[in-house]
Amino acid sequence: MSLRTTLRNWAGLLPFLAFALAFELAPIGVLMRSAFTVEGSLGLGNFSRALTPVMQQAFVNSLGLALASALLGTALGLIVARAITTSRSATTQNMLTALADVTANFGGAPLAFAFVITLGSTGIITLLLKQVGIDLYPAFRIYSLSGLVIAYTYFQLPLAILLMIPALLGLRREWSEAATSLGATGRDYWLRVALPILRPSLLGCFFLLFANAFGAYATAWTLTGSAVNLVTVQIAALARGEVQFDPALADALATLSLAVMLVAVGLCQMMMRRRA
Amino acid sequence: MSRNLWRPTVLSLFLAFMIVPVLATALFSISVRWDRSLWPEGLTLEWWQKVTAKTAFRRALWNSLWVSGLTVVISAALVAPTAWLVHSRLKRARWLVEILAILPFGLPGVVLALGLIRLYAGNTVMGMSTLLIAACVTITLPFMYRAIANALEALDIPTLTEAAQSLGATRGQIFLRVILPNIRAGLVNGCLLVFAATFAEFALANLLIGTRMKTFPIYLVEFTRFDARQASALACLSFAIAWIISLAILWVAGRRRKGGAGAG
Repeated sequence: MSLRTTLRNWAGLLPFLAFALAFELAPIGVLMRSAFTVEGSLGLGNFSRALTPVMQQAFVNSLGLALASALLGTALGLIVARAITTSRSATTQNMLTALADVTANFGGAPLAFAFVITLGSTGIITLLLKQVGIDLYPAFRIYSLSGLVIAYTYFQLPLAILLMIPALLGLRREWSEAATSLGATGRDYWLRVALPILRPSLLGCFFLLFANAFGAYATAWTLTGSAVNLVTVQIAALARGEVQFDPALADALATLSLAVMLVAVGLCQMMMRRRA
Repeated sequence: MSRNLWRPTVLSLFLAFMIVPVLATALFSISVRWDRSLWPEGLTLEWWQKVTAKTAFRRALWNSLWVSGLTVVISAALVAPTAWLVHSRLKRARWLVEILAILPFGLPGVVLALGLIRLYAGNTVMGMSTLLIAACVTITLPFMYRAIANALEALDIPTLTEAAQSLGATRGQIFLRVILPNIRAGLVNGCLLVFAATFAEFALANLLIGTRMKTFPIYLVEFTRFDARQASALACLSFAIAWIISLAILWVAGRRRKGGAGAG
């Protein structure tokens, strides 16, 4: 390849690289620089200041919520995806996959509000359960952390299904037949054959959902305002300058949550790649 | 017996979980009142009429539509040529582009917004709406890139390129007339995902623009705070929009694939 062609090829990449630099790398860089700067020099002071009991609680809540909804989403996603892929009717398969496709895009504010209507203090399921003698409130509240787990599962589940379907389609029927002919029960087959094969996909799916939930903001904000203490809610409040204005503190929090995301996305990429 | 029952049980529970909240919202939006009794106390279209008659409503809808539309166009124009380049002539740079295109998965909207505010707030050259579109393009990069890259990986690019070159096609012609028609389904899929994600984007719009230019989700959240019935009509509308766009574009993509003559 001549130098001219090489230069021309790289020039073709310039718009994308310039865009990524301006709107992806530079904003992250600015946050990190400010987070690691204390009075003009490099230091970790902002992080120790950032981890007040309230902020520590925010990380505990965010991590717990992300963990719970990712676990729930992956487990239920596997079961539903299995039910879809083994369904005999092609119409059922297509309809349900399309449903997952569409509902994976139902997120944020409208979804949160739909859950208020459904499971809020005067929601229809709440009223329905009251009729049969089950009082959800005040033991359960949709405007709480456990309520958020349910709402998050709504957008996690379809995503998990879409991720698990290709993996499940890769399970050959002969493998289960071979296992059965060797005397394996259905449980043996799942524990010793299917799940080990699906493991990379399941882990990849789990970390993707984890990252998805950890960074989510709109659903939590619409449902609970700032009543539930989450990392994203705290960062947003600091960014709007609602609470005490301390840029370095917000930047330290943002940097910490980027570290959490980096670990999750890194593990996700690693697991997904191992499937190949 | 139990072996045959698990599938319908799982599938009906799944259907119920996914559909009940949406149906409940739809029914709530046409109910006179539905917070005291098991069934709505009468049906009405009053809330729909009230909420859609407002100019602020139309403005918010329009804002969201043009922001999403521009985001899709810019994203496609930015990603498609780049993805083609790193899948054909510049494979060496593929890792770099992949990292940059996947990274936003791990970038929470609120964090990106905070960084952009630090960098560009008060910038007079770039208005906040421009910044919002740029941020939406960034946050949806993984959708667009993955969709296009998957389509490109299914193509035999060297053969197609050689054939086109032997017929005297230039680089631009190869991209526009050979590669693009062949990755159309992937491109449409990427555009669909980006449009839906941008239309529903709340964190970026809320932090970058706030109440100065209300997008549809921001308008909706405002309503949830003071009028549940009108808010439910808005929520239904945004479900319907996401749904119609998804189905329409899926339908177009399916038809193209079935028709086969994509290159025509």
